[in-house]
Amino acid sequence: MGWFIVKRLTSLIPILFGISLITFILLHLTPGDPAVAYLRASHIPPADETVAALRVELGLDKPLYVQYVEWLGKVVQLDLGMSYVSKKSVWDEIMLHFFPTVQLTLASCILIVVVSLPIGIMSAIYKGKLIDQFSRIIAFVSVSMPAFWFGFLLIYFLSVKLDLFPVLGRGTFAHLVLPSLTLSFAYIGTYMRLLRASVLENLNEPFVMYARARGLRERLIVSRHLLKKSLLPLVTGLGMSLGNMLSGAVIVETVFAWPGMGQLFVTSILTRDYPMIQGCLLFMGVIFVVCNLLVDLAYSFLDPRIRWEGEK
Amino acid sequence: MVLKRSKLVTSLVGLLVLLTIFVTGCSNTTKDQENASAKDQTKVLTFSWAGDIGDLNPHTYFPNQWFSQAMVYEPLVYYGEGGELKPWLAESWDVSKDGKEYVFHLREDVTFSDGSPFNAAIVKKNFDTVLANAPQHEWMELINQIKSTEVVDESTFKLTLHKPYYPTLQELTYIRPLRFIGEAAFPDSQNTFKEGLKSPIGTGPWILSKYKKNEEAVFIRNEKYWGTKPEIDKVVVKVIPDGESRVLAFEKKEIDLIFGNGVISQDSFQFLKDSGIYETKLSEPTATRALLFNTNRETMKDLKLRAALQHAFNKQAVIDNIFYGTEKKADTLFAPNIPYTKINVKPYEYDAEKAKQLLDEAGWKRVKGKPFREKDGEILQLELLFISTDNIQKAIAEFIQGDFRKMGIDIKLISQEEETFWATAYEGGFDLLFTASWGVPFDPHAYLSAMTKTSENGSPDYKAQLGLPVKKEIDRKIKETLLSTDEAKRKMLYKDILTALHEQAVYLPISYQSNAAVYHKNISGVHFLPQEYEVPFTSIDINK
Repeated sequence: MGWFIVKRLTSLIPILFGISLITFILLHLTPGDPAVAYLRASHIPPADETVAALRVELGLDKPLYVQYVEWLGKVVQLDLGMSYVSKKSVWDEIMLHFFPTVQLTLASCILIVVVSLPIGIMSAIYKGKLIDQFSRIIAFVSVSMPAFWFGFLLIYFLSVKLDLFPVLGRGTFAHLVLPSLTLSFAYIGTYMRLLRASVLENLNEPFVMYARARGLRERLIVSRHLLKKSLLPLVTGLGMSLGNMLSGAVIVETVFAWPGMGQLFVTSILTRDYPMIQGCLLFMGVIFVVCNLLVDLAYSFLDPRIRWEGEK
Repeated sequence: MVLKRSKLVTSLVGLLVLLTIFVTGCSNTTKDQENASAKDQTKVLTFSWAGDIGDLNPHTYFPNQWFSQAMVYEPLVYYGEGGELKPWLAESWDVSKDGKEYVFHLREDVTFSDGSPFNAAIVKKNFDTVLANAPQHEWMELINQIKSTEVVDESTFKLTLHKPYYPTLQELTYIRPLRFIGEAAFPDSQNTFKEGLKSPIGTGPWILSKYKKNEEAVFIRNEKYWGTKPEIDKVVVKVIPDGESRVLAFEKKEIDLIFGNGVISQDSFQFLKDSGIYETKLSEPTATRALLFNTNRETMKDLKLRAALQHAFNKQAVIDNIFYGTEKKADTLFAPNIPYTKINVKPYEYDAEKAKQLLDEAGWKRVKGKPFREKDGEILQLELLFISTDNIQKAIAEFIQGDFRKMGIDIKLISQEEETFWATAYEGGFDLLFTASWGVPFDPHAYLSAMTKTSENGSPDYKAQLGLPVKKEIDRKIKETLLSTDEAKRKMLYKDILTALHEQAVYLPISYQSNAAVYHKNISGVHFLPQEYEVPFTSIDINK
């Protein structure tokens, strides 16, 4: 296992390098001059002399590779520069907005697992029965209903009409319920069906037949043997969704006034805050890579064949 | 087996427990409960805004918000009803005969919220730090006109100008950048524009007491305030980016007051009004929503075509169907309740027949079998530029496209996100553009002044008017007006300028925007202040 982790970690280095390069180049390819954007954000008329002077000050006059190396040098020290709009450290702002996002993501992930796991398994075991039909309907609704609409419905019925939860903002546990429900709802349908399919497929595997032949009880077969193997597709999916959710859920955050990464990123794009856009992109890229790594590790835990292959 | 099963259950329960610990660990349940019980004794008004209030620095702009800057910082002169200039931090003032020297006698009973005195020295210091960054404030003509600032004595401050700039007092009423921070607020470098403030210390009726970026800001009443003290103890400003969420939070009583222009949709306003459970109000016109025609483009150079477009536009239909009657029809670039802007001109009324006739006269003829008019084989196609995220602009643009098609005019819609929109607008890359006047105290003088400046620090209007034969004369007259000391002459000049702009049909005024207020019935004292961006927190009271 140790060897496997080391191997995966070393493979991260070129990937992270690639992310940094793409982030840097992408932003330099987009039309618009960062110096002009800086001046506009500061409400300074972008006259030619001012722009030229600022380009020197910001180092934008240097060749692109020099700019990249300098930028990378700072990034390694967690210095992502200063926001053009707020004039504060990009890293600090990201950290400020990342925590609410983590909170929302964790709550949603737990909801996804707690809801889709039992329903998914049950609907496979009782295929075609009431629970299966029910889960199918839920899946259709969850996949096809837009998040903003579901969020508003939740607010309207559970909050305004029944007065169970606060409408907006952060703070107490109650504040977390509606946004995490909205965020997880779309995933729940997918994972429920994913798990059902995977359980159904594995039900006909020889190891299940063998277990049955041994006279084990159905429940034991499911919980001890079947579940672990059937979880694989769910883990893959959840790992990718985790990256998605951690990069910020713009719509859910806007509807519930949740000050997370999505809002930070969208605002920075609208105000052409180049260092912030660059910082967010890089941060999100790293989050994705880390999530992928976690998925791989979980894989090797769930399916030993994967890590044996690595150790050969 | 029971053991195994329970393992699964325990792990699930464990997850839930973890979640609860995690969430409660970083929550402030107890604090909220304290707040709730404290709320019974103190009067707290909860308000919401679409974005963060920024760093509360009166000498800078975005991300600072006008309304929050106006809560904490005050001007020397206040812009009152109908443009009346009222004493504020300055008790009175003398203007020299040549109009170049202003001597302000400051109030002596004013202190900053930290207890430090408000005097001529601190006024000069604030002026000087703003002037040190003059290029950043170039849009404000007064900054360019100031020659020197001087402390005459403890409570007398003198301002000397290069030229007799008449709107001096009017520009001193602006919410930014000429308002005052206390000595302790200055950063070490003394440059408030580059370094920001140490803390937001002002003389105003409110003090910032708690701030969580992008979440909320709490203001408490300034007990040392020199003027009429606010009735309520606290104002909580919550950041709510979405208008529909704001309405739901309002219905749930999580916020007490909705105030401003465009903070909720017209549908929502109508819905809340019709419910009958809440109080709703609309202010007098604050600014004018208009279309700007780019006369610098070959097609639009023709006055007949511009006049045809004016007659082709059905304002009433837009007001009835898009604004649900919440905005009033506009006939002139500035609402007549603004100083100097009441002019006697004949409005361009909606008249499809006249529009068609004018189009024919301009040479744009119908061609059999083709949907659009043509002249010398060229189709009458006009580009209308709008901001992609602005739902109102989008709705009006689509209406125009459909309606003008009937007359044989092809409107090409170009939607751009805001930053790009302005860049294109400044470059003159449009035939028709959505624009709006700036509202008081900027209207009319500052809006007109910006028309005379090239795009760098002016407005897209400059380039768009270049095709007018009278452009030079209009510009000259605007400049003359701003430096005139004779009231009667000034009135004449304003009349000339506004009449010329109307006759040239370069602006198509659509409607007068206004502020909307929606609040619960237990709240009183909500009225509209002259400046659009001021929220009347000081006069609001909460009745239990």
